[in-house]
Amino acid sequence: MSAVVEVHGVRKEYGSHVAVENLTFAVEAGEILGVLGPNGAGKTTAIRVLTTILSPTRGSFVVAGAPCTKPTEIRKAIGVLPESAGYPEQQTGEEFLRFHARLYGHRRASAAAVAKSLLAEVGLAERARSLVASYSRGMRQRLGLARALVNDPVVVFLDEPTLGLDPAGQRQVLALVRSLAQDRGATVLLSTHLLAEVEELCTRVLILNRGRVAADGTVSEVARTAAAPRSARVRVPPERVDDACAALASAAGVEIVELATGQPGGLVVRFSSADDRPGTSALVALADATIPVHAFELEGARLSDAFLAMTGGD
Amino acid sequence: MVVAGQELRDLWLGGRALLLTLAFSLLLSVVSYLVATNQALNYLEQRESVSLTLKVAVAVGALLSLLAAADTISGERERGTLESLLVTPVSRQRLVAGKLAAVLSLWIGAFAITTPYVWYLGRGIGVVGESLAAGFVVGTLVAVFLASLGVLVSTFSGSNRISLSVSLLLLLALFAPTQFPTGAQQGWAANLLLRVNPITAGEHYIGKIVVDDHSWSHDTWWLVSPALGAAVFGVAAIAAARSISLRGGSTS
Repeated sequence: MSAVVEVHGVRKEYGSHVAVENLTFAVEAGEILGVLGPNGAGKTTAIRVLTTILSPTRGSFVVAGAPCTKPTEIRKAIGVLPESAGYPEQQTGEEFLRFHARLYGHRRASAAAVAKSLLAEVGLAERARSLVASYSRGMRQRLGLARALVNDPVVVFLDEPTLGLDPAGQRQVLALVRSLAQDRGATVLLSTHLLAEVEELCTRVLILNRGRVAADGTVSEVARTAAAPRSARVRVPPERVDDACAALASAAGVEIVELATGQPGGLVVRFSSADDRPGTSALVALADATIPVHAFELEGARLSDAFLAMTGGD
Repeated sequence: MVVAGQELRDLWLGGRALLLTLAFSLLLSVVSYLVATNQALNYLEQRESVSLTLKVAVAVGALLSLLAAADTISGERERGTLESLLVTPVSRQRLVAGKLAAVLSLWIGAFAITTPYVWYLGRGIGVVGESLAAGFVVGTLVAVFLASLGVLVSTFSGSNRISLSVSLLLLLALFAPTQFPTGAQQGWAANLLLRVNPITAGEHYIGKIVVDDHSWSHDTWWLVSPALGAAVFGVAAIAAARSISLRGGSTS
């Protein structure tokens, strides 16, 4: 696999305010990269720099093989759904897409065909001839996604595509995002606040904090690095609880073993901070003692914990 | 072409241009009625009636272009549609050129409405053809000048309200010399002001052609200012397109 997006030391200043500092990362073809960060972390600025809306103060980047010195080449290869994108109320969805397809060089007939096909893809075929003014927020976001695809882009940038949507709308948009990578083979950079969806959808995560990269890796890597789990919930057969306690107490890295209240066979295991692979030795100890493990759940291993740890809960 | 086509559709089928041209035709009807009445009472010569109507048509027709131009970039910015346009491969200069072309259609519409009024007021004295030609040339130059001015202001304005207010303020400043008392419009300084201001110079030229029956080449100096204004501001509006930013103000 080769990197479709490569970013090297990008810095963006607004006067004395540094919005993005030393941004460096790469995204492989077909990946869905979740770009996370608290408000003001520099997510939107980073996306605007990479989509050539803003020019970087320093640094360089390559998108779909085109260097940042050739913004038109980059624009031809990318699709963008900007944050809080507006839509012309007096146009129909079909007109809107046809116009944008023509901006990418489609002729009249092929622009109409592209518009029709994309409207069907995002589930708006029946509302193709309705004015955008009559569209719900979810429908507008799906129309925006369709607009981002009129040029069959290699890389798609989505800035908060689920902002302001109800759960059903969020699910629809996220299903479309998944299909972008799976069916179209596009690389997706997704900026969002929905951590659970990022865990489910994204192959990699980039956490930004105060304009800098706080973490970059797969969801599990980031979660492990940022918030190494310090405890685990274990469930064994109730008649083997004493054996399990003894086995766990002797395992390396285990500090405390407690009975979980109100849960027959449930135990809470606390690990020492020095243990860089918590849980492994505990599981090995239970296996060595031939104790069946009905459930084993590490706590503090979720992306949300990592996010809060890295951003200071801002 | 694609941008201009879409802008034309939005402007005319969206109803904004129709509303503006309807208001224009009502105003022109009132002006023509008053002029025709004065002419009937021998207060105005027929040539003066044509000239006056044409001057109003040029001034108001160009004003319509300015009003539409003031919305071009700041309007997209305010509606949140600018970023979607800027991420397309179409250059910002072509984007502005397309919008400018569409805005000028308002002047063309206004001129089309003016034609029958000029014909009615000037019929029988062989002034209709040259009046319409002079009106079209001067009106087009003034419309390009004002539309470019509007686009320039819109490029750097953070909101539509600011864009419209600044544009109208500049227009008032340009029209102010036409409202000076006759005494104040004499002397070299007043003459220079009349010649430098594209609107007053253009209107003066129309008067020379229609009322004084001068040839086209006789007073071409009066056309220099409108032509220069159109060229300089037209080029400036296209060149400033490179500075279009999402927030308005300077390039970010």
